[in-house]
Amino acid sequence: MVLMIKKIIIGLIAGLVSGLFATGGGMIVVPALVYLLKTDEVKARATSVFVILPMVITSGIFYYKNDFIDWKIGALCALGGLVGGYLGAKYLKRIPELYLKLSFTIFLIYVSVKMIIS
Amino acid sequence: MSEILIGIVSGFVSGMGMGGGTILILSLSLFMGIEQHIAQATNLVFFIPTSIMAIITNIKQKNIDFKIAIPIVFSGIVGAIIGAVISNKLDVHTLKKYFGIFLALIALLEIYSMLKKYIFDKKRHNKSIKK
Repeated sequence: MVLMIKKIIIGLIAGLVSGLFATGGGMIVVPALVYLLKTDEVKARATSVFVILPMVITSGIFYYKNDFIDWKIGALCALGGLVGGYLGAKYLKRIPELYLKLSFTIFLIYVSVKMIIS
Repeated sequence: MSEILIGIVSGFVSGMGMGGGTILILSLSLFMGIEQHIAQATNLVFFIPTSIMAIITNIKQKNIDFKIAIPIVFSGIVGAIIGAVISNKLDVHTLKKYFGIFLALIALLEIYSMLKKYIFDKKRHNKSIKK
């Protein structure tokens, strides 16, 4: 029962964030599964992609209805994404995870301050 | 053409399961001046094909825990509806501010997990060696 409530709350929060910001669901689901449900990291990552897809499709319907989708930008980004995804899968493991995480976090702090102040 | 470049960088980072979408949205909205809602919607479009590919691989490798996934999917859809309705009603300025606050929280979470992984756990590891 407690386990079920935990799952429902994880879903609600991840869905809320996905709908609000169209990103970040994974950054919530993965640590939540690892720390709250004690799932191992590989399964948590795999399961998170599976649960986030329906949230993204649901949000997408609303963004589409409100005319926020620009298909040209989407297609160009997706094209780049295919190349980047391939390159990432091939070369990412050669870069130490700590450096990647550090640069990502510094980038996040910089832009968040910029966005909050502006 | 910058859109393709942004896609490449985001796709590259997505491979490690962190922040691909965030980088995509930020690059579009901050560096290219695309409206925040449209930048966010682009990430939704971007996510669908790449995640379907990943899900197929994950199902084949039996890495998805469906018992955990199913309830999260249902409550997640409810959450997504609420989130999307609120987001679509917010004006750009407010949405950007909230997005900034959200990113700051993610940054704190990342800092915490890095500290835990590279400092606290290492100390514990060293102690156990000394014993």
